[in-house]
Amino acid sequence: MSTTYQCGNHDALVSYLYGECEPDARAMLMAHLAVCAACAAELAALESARIQLTSWSPPETDLGFVIARPSASPDRWRRWAWFVQPLPAWAQLAAAAAIFAAGISLGIARGTMRDAPPPAATAASAAAPVSASAPADDVIAESLDALEQRLRDEIAQLRPSVPSPAASGDAQLLARVRALIDESEQRQQRELALRTAQIVRDFDSQRRVDLEQIQRNFGQIEGLTGAEVREQRQMLNYLMRVSQQP
Amino acid sequence: MTWSDEDLVARSRGGDVESFNQLILRWERPIYALAYRVIGREEDARDVCQETFLRAFRALPGFKGQAKFSSWLYRIALNLCRDWVRRQRRAPVVEAPEGVDPLDLVAERQRTESIEDLVSRRELSAAVAEAMALLPEEQRTAIILKEYHGMTFQEIAELQGCPLSTVKTRLYQGLTVLRRHLERQGMAPVARKA
Repeated sequence: MSTTYQCGNHDALVSYLYGECEPDARAMLMAHLAVCAACAAELAALESARIQLTSWSPPETDLGFVIARPSASPDRWRRWAWFVQPLPAWAQLAAAAAIFAAGISLGIARGTMRDAPPPAATAASAAAPVSASAPADDVIAESLDALEQRLRDEIAQLRPSVPSPAASGDAQLLARVRALIDESEQRQQRELALRTAQIVRDFDSQRRVDLEQIQRNFGQIEGLTGAEVREQRQMLNYLMRVSQQP
Repeated sequence: MTWSDEDLVARSRGGDVESFNQLILRWERPIYALAYRVIGREEDARDVCQETFLRAFRALPGFKGQAKFSSWLYRIALNLCRDWVRRQRRAPVVEAPEGVDPLDLVAERQRTESIEDLVSRRELSAAVAEAMALLPEEQRTAIILKEYHGMTFQEIAELQGCPLSTVKTRLYQGLTVLRRHLERQGMAPVARKA
């Protein structure tokens, strides 16, 4: 271990600066500083920088962070969390298309089932009570049969006029969805452009207001300091006048 | 009765949320100050501060007390600050000191301090912030931990994961750059009052 301090030993200088060196190293450095003006000046400059650092403080702000007490059974709700989350747009669109297609399919299937003859079991069960029932029941059954036949005829007349094959229906749906998406995109672009222009305008006007306020404040400061100088000058003049009086 | 950090940590680990809130109350200012000086943005410093305590709360079961709670907290905060700086991919932005409205300066003037002194103090603060923003992240962090949080060389070395001598070098180089920058800005050197 050396018994003297060598110029340029920055580690030792920093240790001394922060008071974190051994007593003998400290004594050695102090002895060196007494005879080396360059090292003494460097140490003084570092101390000066440290003093200047004290002027920098973070702005006052309200913090007040608090951890809220967790609920009694968070796991139970976590399992359902996906359920309460909003679906993305594409999923909503897909769900709507699926529901629509299911509705069309159901409608077609119901129409087909009506055209088909009733199952044997149903016919048998319907026939049995008719043969053994009262005349009033016969009248009702006949009315219902007539009504059913009439409805069947009307549906049969209507069916050829409905041009809705599944393939063309899907294509129309797809085209309509695309048109809706295009329209939505165009609307969003227009809104974005409008808002951007508005932000730029607001920013410019705020900047102008700020600049005017800064100029006004500087004017007030100058007025304040000028007023103080005037007061001091008046006081000085008064003192001089008083001191010159016999 | 004032609980120590270790007591509050133990109680928090036992499920006492209020004890952790007391730890937050105790450490939120230093952590916010650290984040603000490293990042230089008030809002982001608040976010980092909040995230620090959230992460600490979540990781509390894994904290076995190998280090002091405060050191552990500082480490989390520094990692978040480092992530922030990397994410921004630029030097930290230093805001103008808060409340630079000259009328506020007049209002807060103390009897012993003239307007000129106050203005020059504000100017110095802004110049220091600007100079600190110029330093490399490691030097800036070392100076902040040493000057504003009173850590020892050893504690800084552990937090920064570097040898002791590296910490001293970072401090020396950082202070030297800072001093030169302040001189260029016309800030006269200050002598310590006897």
